[in-house]
Amino acid sequence: MIITKDNKMADVIHMNYSTLSVLNRFGIELGFGDKSVEDVCQKHEVDINFFLEIINTFINEDYFPKKHLQSFSIALINDYLKKTHDYYHQVKVPAIEQLMDQMAHNCYTQRNNINLLTNFFNDYKQELLNHTQREDKIVFPYTLSIEKAFNAPQIDKETVKLMEEYSIDIFESEHDNIEEKLFDLKNIIIKYLPQPKNFQLCNKLLDELFTLEKDLNDHARIEDKVLVPKIRAMEGVIRKKFSEK
Amino acid sequence: MIYLSFIICDQSFLIRKGLAAVISKIPSTKILHSIDSEDEAYNILKNTHADFIILNPDIFYKQKIEDTLKNVCKTRTIGLISNPDKDISNFPFAEIIYYNDTQSTILKKINHLIEKKQSTLKKQKKQEEISSREASIVKYIALGYTNKEIADKLFISSHTVVTHRKNITRKLGIKTAPGLTIYAIINNIINIEDTKDVKF
Repeated sequence: MIITKDNKMADVIHMNYSTLSVLNRFGIELGFGDKSVEDVCQKHEVDINFFLEIINTFINEDYFPKKHLQSFSIALINDYLKKTHDYYHQVKVPAIEQLMDQMAHNCYTQRNNINLLTNFFNDYKQELLNHTQREDKIVFPYTLSIEKAFNAPQIDKETVKLMEEYSIDIFESEHDNIEEKLFDLKNIIIKYLPQPKNFQLCNKLLDELFTLEKDLNDHARIEDKVLVPKIRAMEGVIRKKFSEK
Repeated sequence: MIYLSFIICDQSFLIRKGLAAVISKIPSTKILHSIDSEDEAYNILKNTHADFIILNPDIFYKQKIEDTLKNVCKTRTIGLISNPDKDISNFPFAEIIYYNDTQSTILKKINHLIEKKQSTLKKQKKQEEISSREASIVKYIALGYTNKEIADKLFISSHTVVTHRKNITRKLGIKTAPGLTIYAIINNIINIEDTKDVKF
């Protein structure tokens, strides 16, 4: 089902409760009664069209009307992507660490193996941190200056110089696959780790890993299908304008 | 997950839908294609590997379909026949389903074929475990050796090592070297003490 502005916000959560994390990123608080998606967004000063595209992309993996999304400002997209970064580091990663810690304490027989998994995850955490920091510090500021130059009446030399040093193509080629280790971790737990004593904890951990993986995929989809094509088009226009000058 | 896949060829939309609904009652089955025309059937049968094709010979010119079926001999073909008096002796059908068969008859016929197929699949499944050669490569990867070093150790080419690694990843579902290290420790291929110098 596709969410529209007239659906009730409460129904969105009933339909798929994992949308809670998306609402969180938009700063939307619970307790919205029977208000529609449009009304709730208005109250929290959220761009309704942007919200709808993000929430539908999140619920339905095949849903991707990129033309709509590409009409939004870069700042809006960056802001959302940055908030997902915060969510990984402040919510998901600590939750996973805590569960692994509990597992190691609860299971004497598998403690050594679980400690191995913890080391593996620590390494992954660093990888994820490097990945998101590169985006926060290099990619997002770059995209903002491109948007600014694109909207400016005159193309200045600095922008062109900036584009010579970096371009969205470089970002795309460096955009490595950060899901690989997560994939391995899941498979090791599902297929190879002898069942730890407390299987409830193990289930919770897998649940966290699966939702993190899904969220990372949605995140990467927005970057690859929205941010990159949009910036590439702007770069093209800027280059053309400059060469005509 | 292993599915048994089906292709259904018949002119009638209702027959195709109905048969698909019956087949879906059998666990681990999947309808790959539902085909209503001869041209589409030739294309799909040539390019797609399904475990079973259920096909009504009425939509084909006899000579051509036999050739096509010969090319897809891996697939078991099931006849779907509207008129029980029709002469179908020329077709290589493994089983025949008639339009007026009851649901339980259809399920019985298909289940019988699936059982046969699964006994051959089980034999293949044993090959999904890693071989002793692959295990020794896992060991060296886990210990942090590069492809080149492994090739030298085992007197094989780097290219062969890459092929082995691809097969290991496919069989185990583990893509990264640190992941393989953990696999190797859990399965006692290496000792944890051996990995002191290995960076995760």
